Amino acid sequence: MVSKLLVVEDLWKFIDGKPVLRGVTFDVNEGETKVILGPSGAGKSTLLRCINLLIMPDRGKIVFDGEDVLRKRDIHSIRSKIGFVFQHFNLFSHMTALENVTLGLTKVKKLSKHEAEKKAKEALIAVGITEELWNKYPAQLSGGQQQRVAIARALAMEPKLILFDEPTSALDPELIWEVLNVMEKLAKAKMTMIVVTHEIGFAMRVANEVLFLDNGVILERGAPEQVILSPCNERVRRFMDRMKYVYNVDKGYAH
Amino acid sequence: MLYVISKYWPFLLEGLKTAFIITFTSYTIGFAGGICIAIARAFLHKVLKIIMHIYVELFRGTPMLIQLFFVYYALPEVGIKFDPVLSAIIAIGLNSAAYQSEYIRSALSSIPYGEIEAAYSLGLTKLSTMLYIALPQAIRIAIPTLTNEAIYLFKYSSIAYFVTAPELMYMGKLIATRTFLYVEVYTVLAMIYVAFSIVLSGVARYIERRLQIPGYIV
Repeated sequence: MVSKLLVVEDLWKFIDGKPVLRGVTFDVNEGETKVILGPSGAGKSTLLRCINLLIMPDRGKIVFDGEDVLRKRDIHSIRSKIGFVFQHFNLFSHMTALENVTLGLTKVKKLSKHEAEKKAKEALIAVGITEELWNKYPAQLSGGQQQRVAIARALAMEPKLILFDEPTSALDPELIWEVLNVMEKLAKAKMTMIVVTHEIGFAMRVANEVLFLDNGVILERGAPEQVILSPCNERVRRFMDRMKYVYNVDKGYAH
Repeated sequence: MLYVISKYWPFLLEGLKTAFIITFTSYTIGFAGGICIAIARAFLHKVLKIIMHIYVELFRGTPMLIQLFFVYYALPEVGIKFDPVLSAIIAIGLNSAAYQSEYIRSALSSIPYGEIEAAYSLGLTKLSTMLYIALPQAIRIAIPTLTNEAIYLFKYSSIAYFVTAPELMYMGKLIATRTFLYVEVYTVLAMIYVAFSIVLSGVARYIERRLQIPGYIV
């Protein structure tokens, strides 16, 4: 039996009195990849940030790994079990790639420096960051390398779930490929992931389910083929038509 | 001028030593205090925040000389007595803490919020995030202003003269009244102050270079 790792129930968030999330409900099984699509301002980033409590939701329920997250007092231990990969990488700019990955291991997981470095190196190798880059600072790395270090930083913590917030939106196409490639490998290795992205090709190949979020509401959900290629909702269809135009998906040579 | 230097250099050296001690110690107090205040203002609950705010405004808003007189002349009234040098160190140190806290606070607010979020998302507490992510970067950003502060303090150490601490200014005055060579003596003093300030900014530039993050332009 597959167990539910995350259950989000009727989640509401108001920012400056305006509802950004309006009763979002969905769940994620262990080993699953969910892709969230939707226009800018739909509340996608807010939804992800609510899950690991970077933003406190106003109403609703989040159950992660059997625990009612919003009732729990120790938000740090919840966060340490949920990885987060940001659009702008957000590496610590005064630390080397290796130090970026080790920090959480030594300061949160309280591993010894030696153990932490061993784990960090494994994680870096897993995302294709080789030894000569370990002692480089973020500003000395390409965008794709930075994002892969950021994925390694999340991965090294051995999270149960990784949240991706438009991880490739700040990258050029070649670098997008190297990041998506790493993410695809993670999905194949049955890492549980929620990915906010505009990469519908990635969603087609990897997602177990696609959610379409607009205006704080899930308008449509289902298998990627269904939501992306033949959506029922009029708004979703309009969005997908434009996406297909941009990415040429129906001509079959996306990526 | 040469006469002043050749005859009275032991006095001048002694004065320089005292001025240096006052500057160095009060700067260190100011730096440590400034960091504590800046962190406290980012964390503490309302009442303590307001107290910190009042402290900063009070010490920025009153002349340092008044603060010094207060420490040296008023505190003994309530039984707290310090010698002149210590009084100067305390007064200048407390004053500098107020300024340095502001420099560090403004540097802290320039740290990209994304990095703070990234630290939180790893499970780091607010304090760890401050100590390992925000502060190390903020101090780097604040180095030029913190250097300015050090140079200010070196010059301001001369106000210790008013409470008879035997620093450079005090020694100068002593030599001048003895020799009546006021212009010469004060020119020599000015030159010492300038030379020392140049050395200080050189040291600061060295520190800045050492701490520079490769590939990163602030």
